[in-house]
Amino acid sequence: MTSHPTTGPSPDFSSERGEKPAPERADVLGGDFGSFDDHRPPAQELLDDCVHCGFCLPTCPTYALWGEEMDSPRGRIYLMEMAEKGEIPLEGAFTTHIDRCLGCMACVTACPSGVQYDRLLEATRPQIERHVPRSRADRLFREAIFALFPYKRRLRAASIGGALYQKLRPKSMDKVMAKLPSRLAAMESLLPPVRVREAFARIPARTPAIGPRRGRVGLLTGCVQDVFFHPVNEATVRVLAAEGWDVIAPREQTCCGALGLHAGREPEAVERAKKLIATFERAEVDTIATNVAGCGSSMKEYGELLADDPAWAERAQAFAAKVRDISEVVDETLADPRARRHPIEATVVYHDACHLGHAQKIRSEPRRVLRAIPGVELVELPEAELCCGSAGIYNMLQPEAAGDLGRRKAGNIRGTGADVLVTANPGCLLQIRKYLEGELPMLHPIQLVDASIRGVRPPEMG
Amino acid sequence: MLDAAMVREFTDLLSENGVITDEVGLRSYECDGLTGFRQVPALVVLPRDAQEVAGAVRLCAKYGMPFVARGAGTGLSGGAMPVADGVVISLQKLRRILEIDVENRRAVLEPGVYNLEISKAAAPYGLYYAPDPSSQQVCTIGGNVAENSGGAHCLKYGFTTNHVLEMEVVLADGSVVTLGGPTGEQAGPDLRGLFIGSEGTLGVCTKVTVRLLQTPETVRTVLADFPSIEAAGDTVGDIVDAAIVPAAVEMMDSLAMEASEAATGAGLTVDSPAALIIELDGPGDEVEAEFEHLTAICERHGATRLHVPTEAEERQKVWKGRKAAFAAVGRISPDYIVQDGVVPRTRLAEVLTRIAEMGRDADLRVANVFHAGDGNLHPLVLYSEAAGEHDAAEKLSTDIAELCVELGGSLSGEHGIGTDKACSMPAMFSEDDLGVMHRVRLAFDPDSRCNPGKLFPTPRLCGERPGKYAPHPLEEAGVIERL
Amino acid sequence: MSTTVTPTTVDDLRDAVLDRPGTLRVAGAGTAADWAGTPAPADTVLDLTGLRGIVTHNPGDMTVEVRAGTPFASLQEEVGEHHQRVAVDPARAAAGATLGGLFATADSGPRALQYGSLRDLVIGATIVLADGTVARSGGHVIKNVAGYDLTKVLHGAHGTLGVIAGLVLRLHPSPQATATVAVPCDRAASGDLARRIADSPAEAVAVQWHADRLLAMVEGSESGADARARRLTDAVGGELLSPDDAGAAWEAHAAAVDRRGDRAVLRLGVIPSALTGVLDGLEADSGGLADVTTSPRTGVATVSLPADADVVAAAHRRVAEAGGTSTLRQRPAGAELPAFGPAPASAVVLRAVAASLDPDQRLGRGRLSPWIPEPTGVTA
Repeated sequence: MTSHPTTGPSPDFSSERGEKPAPERADVLGGDFGSFDDHRPPAQELLDDCVHCGFCLPTCPTYALWGEEMDSPRGRIYLMEMAEKGEIPLEGAFTTHIDRCLGCMACVTACPSGVQYDRLLEATRPQIERHVPRSRADRLFREAIFALFPYKRRLRAASIGGALYQKLRPKSMDKVMAKLPSRLAAMESLLPPVRVREAFARIPARTPAIGPRRGRVGLLTGCVQDVFFHPVNEATVRVLAAEGWDVIAPREQTCCGALGLHAGREPEAVERAKKLIATFERAEVDTIATNVAGCGSSMKEYGELLADDPAWAERAQAFAAKVRDISEVVDETLADPRARRHPIEATVVYHDACHLGHAQKIRSEPRRVLRAIPGVELVELPEAELCCGSAGIYNMLQPEAAGDLGRRKAGNIRGTGADVLVTANPGCLLQIRKYLEGELPMLHPIQLVDASIRGVRPPEMG
Repeated sequence: MLDAAMVREFTDLLSENGVITDEVGLRSYECDGLTGFRQVPALVVLPRDAQEVAGAVRLCAKYGMPFVARGAGTGLSGGAMPVADGVVISLQKLRRILEIDVENRRAVLEPGVYNLEISKAAAPYGLYYAPDPSSQQVCTIGGNVAENSGGAHCLKYGFTTNHVLEMEVVLADGSVVTLGGPTGEQAGPDLRGLFIGSEGTLGVCTKVTVRLLQTPETVRTVLADFPSIEAAGDTVGDIVDAAIVPAAVEMMDSLAMEASEAATGAGLTVDSPAALIIELDGPGDEVEAEFEHLTAICERHGATRLHVPTEAEERQKVWKGRKAAFAAVGRISPDYIVQDGVVPRTRLAEVLTRIAEMGRDADLRVANVFHAGDGNLHPLVLYSEAAGEHDAAEKLSTDIAELCVELGGSLSGEHGIGTDKACSMPAMFSEDDLGVMHRVRLAFDPDSRCNPGKLFPTPRLCGERPGKYAPHPLEEAGVIERL
Repeated sequence: MSTTVTPTTVDDLRDAVLDRPGTLRVAGAGTAADWAGTPAPADTVLDLTGLRGIVTHNPGDMTVEVRAGTPFASLQEEVGEHHQRVAVDPARAAAGATLGGLFATADSGPRALQYGSLRDLVIGATIVLADGTVARSGGHVIKNVAGYDLTKVLHGAHGTLGVIAGLVLRLHPSPQATATVAVPCDRAASGDLARRIADSPAEAVAVQWHADRLLAMVEGSESGADARARRLTDAVGGELLSPDDAGAAWEAHAAAVDRRGDRAVLRLGVIPSALTGVLDGLEADSGGLADVTTSPRTGVATVSLPADADVVAAAHRRVAEAGGTSTLRQRPAGAELPAFGPAPASAVVLRAVAASLDPDQRLGRGRLSPWIPEPTGVTA
C-alpha cells in the first residue's frame, strides 16, 4: 500500500473550531439536545467554551493514570458534545468515561478558557442517572452508599459495627477479604478506626463566644465528619468560640446533599438543600461555616441548584452567600486575632482537597491560617493539583483507579518528609489514611489551630 | 483495511488496555488542538514502552497501514490529525523521566514527558530545560521534537534542535536507530537535526536526551505598557541595537491583554494599547547593568507603566498572563483562529500596520500576541461561526501568513505546517525546494506511511486552490510521489 | 586528471554540476582537505572560493546571508563592523577556512560550550544537488519551522549529498570584553575543576584544557567580564590572564587543535563524565597521545595519534564503545586511515538519504566511507 486518502471526508479549510457535519444517526437522535433530555442538559455555550487546547490534561487524575483521551476533561467534553449532537448514546462508553471522572475540578483550575466543567459535569450526571439503567449489582451498591452515608444515625450504627469488627477481625479474614469484589473491599478498608464514645458524641447546639463577640456562626456538623471525625467538629467549635464567635449547631440539621449532587442524584440533592436552608434560616446566623470541603462546595452552589424553583431561588442565593469554609472564617480573624497561638514545632504538609482548592479556589487561606501558628513550617506537595482518589464516593465506585491515585498521593506525601499531614476534607483523610496508615499523623488544619490555641500537643502527635 | 485478526495482533502485542477500537474512543482522537480538521482513525494504540512502539510500527509496516504518532494532542496545525484507515500511536503512556544526569547536565526522557516536568525534575539540582513553549505544562518532549518547538525564551536560548543531543527513533519499517550523540559533536551528517521539526513524517521518537542548563543567577523581568504598538516596536529595536540579548521579549496588544487579564488576573493594563514583557537573565552584575539600560530605553519610548515583579511568584504571574493569552481569547470572542507567522524583526511595524488594514477590510478584529524579539507573530483572528464569518476569518488568517512570507519571513515560527498550512507551502518554497524535502522523506519512509498528508501540499488537500500548485517534474518522472 | 571549475554564482555552480560529467569534489580553501575519508579521484573539482561575499546583512535583524566560499575570517570582520559576530570560533578560521567548508566539516571551537556549533547558528541554506536541482531550505528569520531543516543534513556531510552554495546565519552581538582565567591542572583533574567552573554563576562561554592548564573564558561588558573572571578565580583558583597572555593562550590552543604534521588527528565526543577514561584508554592503546585539547564540559577532545591504520581503528572503536563519536581530522599524505568508527544503525538512513539526493554518488565520493561505501564497478 503506497497511498492513502489523507484527510477527512470534506477537506475544508476551516482552521479553528470548524464544525464537522454530524453523521446521520437516526437510532440515537433524540430531541434538540441529541441524546440528552431537555431537563438541564449540558449547555451548548458551555461546551463551546472548550477550544481543545489540552491544558487540562496533566491535572486530570484519570488522564495521569491512563493517558487516554476519553478519560480526560477535554475528551469528556468532546463526548458530551457528541452526545449533545446525538452522535453517540448515553449508555455504554459515554457513561463509562463520565463515571470515571472524579469530579475533582482540577481541570477548572487549569483551564485558560474558563470552561465550566463543573457545571457541565453536574448537568451530565443526572442525565445518566435518568437514562442509563445500571447493572443490578451497581445499582444495589450505589443505593447502599446513599442509604448509609448521608444518615448520621445509620453511620453511627455502621461505625460501631466497624469499631467492633476492627477489633475482633481475625487474621483469617484477610483471605476472605482478598476474594471480595473490589468495591466491597474498598468500602470495608475505608472504615476508619473510631471510638464508640466519639461516634455518639454531639456538638452542643449553642456555644457562646469567649470575650467580645464577632458574630454568630452556624456550623454544619456534617455526616461522615460528625461520626468519624467528631474531634474535628469539637476543635472547630473551640476555635470559633475562642476567636469570638457564637457557634450555633442546629440539632435538626441533616446531610447537605453533596454526595448525591456530585453523583448526579439531583432530586435527592434538591430536597436535602431545601431542608438545610430552612434549618439555618431558623438559626438566624451571620455566617454558615463548614469544615468539610465537599459540603462547602455544594452549599455554595445551592443558588444554581434551586435557580429554577421560584419558591426557593432567592432563599438559596441568600444561604449560599453566607457559606464559608472554616479556613476562610479563621483567615478573616487573623488581622485581629483574639486567641494567642502557642508554638507547635512541626513540618506540616498541607494537601489541597479538590473541593476546597479547585472547586472553591481556597488555597491561600488555609495556608495563612497554618502559618499563623508559631513553629509550623509548611511544605508543598509535588503534584499538589492531583486528586488523592477519594472524590466523594469515587473510591468506593472506582476502587482500582482510586487505589492508584491514593498510592501516588501517599508517595508524594512521604517524599516531603513532613511530621504531619493536614487536609480539610474527611474523604481525603479516609483515603490517604488507607495508604499511609501509621506513617504520620493526619489531621484537619483546624485541629492544629485548636491545639495551638490551647497550648497542647495536637492529637496523634504524642 | 483493518480486520479483526489484525486488531488481535495489536492486542496481543500491547499491554493491557493498549488498543482502542470502540467508536467513542476512536472519535476522541479524531483531532488535535486544531479541531477544524478531523479524521477518525481505524485504530488507536497506547504502547507502554519503546519496544511496544516499535512492535506497533512493525505491524503497521506488515499491513501497509499509515500511522500518526501523537503526544498530548495540543498542536495547532493539525499535525497529529489521524489518517483514514490508519493507526494513531499515542505516546501518552511513555512518560518516564529515565534519568536526570546532573554531572553531565542531561536528561533522558520518554517522549510523553511534559515539557515542564523536565525543568521541575531538574530544579532541585539548579538546572532547567530551556525551550518553553506556551503550552509547556501539557505539551510533550516528543511533540516538541516533532515541531522543533521554541517558546518565549528561544530568542536567547534557541529551539528544541539546539537542546536535543540524541534520540532513539523508530523508522517506518519498525527498525530502531539512534540519531545524534552524547555531545553536540557528531561524526557524519546531522540526521538528528533533520529529524527534529519533521512533524512526525520521518519516524517516531521513543527516547530523547536533552541538555540541561544551569538556572541563571539572576532573572529580571519588566512588564512595560506603551502608548502605541509602534512605540513598543521601536523599544525592541533599540534593545537589539544596544547589543542586549534578552531572554525573552513578548508583545501583547490591548485585545489580547483584555482576554488574558480576564483569565489570569496577571496584572496587565487592559486599556493600554501595547505592552512588552522583557526578561533578562544571567550573572547578577551583568543583568543589573543591562536592566538599567533596558528600563531607560523603555522610558525613552514613553512607557506609561513599568511593572517590575520582584518575587518569583509575581514574575510567574506575569508570564501566566502571557502564556494563557491564546486560550483566553475564547473569552472575548466565540471563535478565533491562531496564526503563527514570522517576519524579520525590523519589519514588525510594517506587518502590524498591514494586518490592521487587512482586519479592517475584512471587518474582523485581530488580537496580537507575539514574540517580538524574533519577529514571531501570533495574530488571533476573532470571528463568530454563528454569524457566518468563518470563511472570511480563514481567508484573513491565511493571507496574514502569506504576507509574512512576502515580507521575507516564514509561514510558521513554532506551530508547524501540519494539515493547516500545507497548501501555503508553495508560497514559501519552490517546487524544487519541496521536491528535495520529499526525496529526503522517501529516504526515511519509502511508502510515506509516517503521518502522510502533513507538511507537503497534496492535490487532494489543496485541490480547491487551482493555480497554487502544479505537479513537480520529478513527480512526472516518477522519482517522487505525492499522496 | 581532474578539471577545476570556479563558479562565481549559484547559476554557474548549477551549470557546472550539470555540464561536467562524472564525479565531483567540492573544495574550499583546502584547510580540511585531509579530513574524514580519503576522497576518490574526481573528474571535476568544484572550487567554491569564487562563490564569495555577503549577499545580505541586515544588522537590525541580526542575520546575514553569505556565499559558501566566503572566508570565515572576512565574514567575521565585516559583521564585526556592526558589533556583531557569528558566535563560533573554529581553529581553522585563521588559516583561511571558508564558511561552507567549516559547515561541511562540522567544525567548531571552544565557544561551542555556550553557542553550539554552526549547525546551531544556520537558519537557511541554498544547496545544489548532483542533478542540478537548486533548493533552499529555512529562510531569513531565526524562528522558522516551515518544512524540513534540510540544511542540517549537510552539516558534517564533508561535501557529499549536495553542494552548499550559501548559508543564512543568525548573528550575536559582539561582547564588549572577554576575560580568561587559567588554572594549572593535569588532565585527570580537569573534569572536576571544569564542573566547579560550570557550577559558578559566572557563565563561562568556553572551558578548555590544554597544556596542563584549564582555560575559562567569560564575555560581557567592559567591567563585568573582569569582575566575573575574578569570581571564577575566587571559586576555583588560578589567575586572570592579561589580554596579551589570554590571546596567546587561546592561539596556542588553536594551534594544537589545527596541528599540521605527520600524525593522525582525531576529534572525538563522548559523554563528559567518560572523557577522562576514554582518553586514558586511547593513551594506553596508541602508545601516546599528543596535542591534546579537551572540552571537559562538552566531552569533546582533539588528539593526535601515530598515523597507523590499526591504531586509528582501535581509537575509533574505543570511542564507539563509550557511546561516543569520532572523526579523522588529519590524514598525513599517503596514509590510509579509517575516517570513522563502526557504522551506527542510523547509517542505513544515511545511505538512503544519499541514494535519494545523489543516487550516482557524484559528490564527494569516499568522504563518508565506509558509512557510505563507494560504489563498486560503476562510474557515474
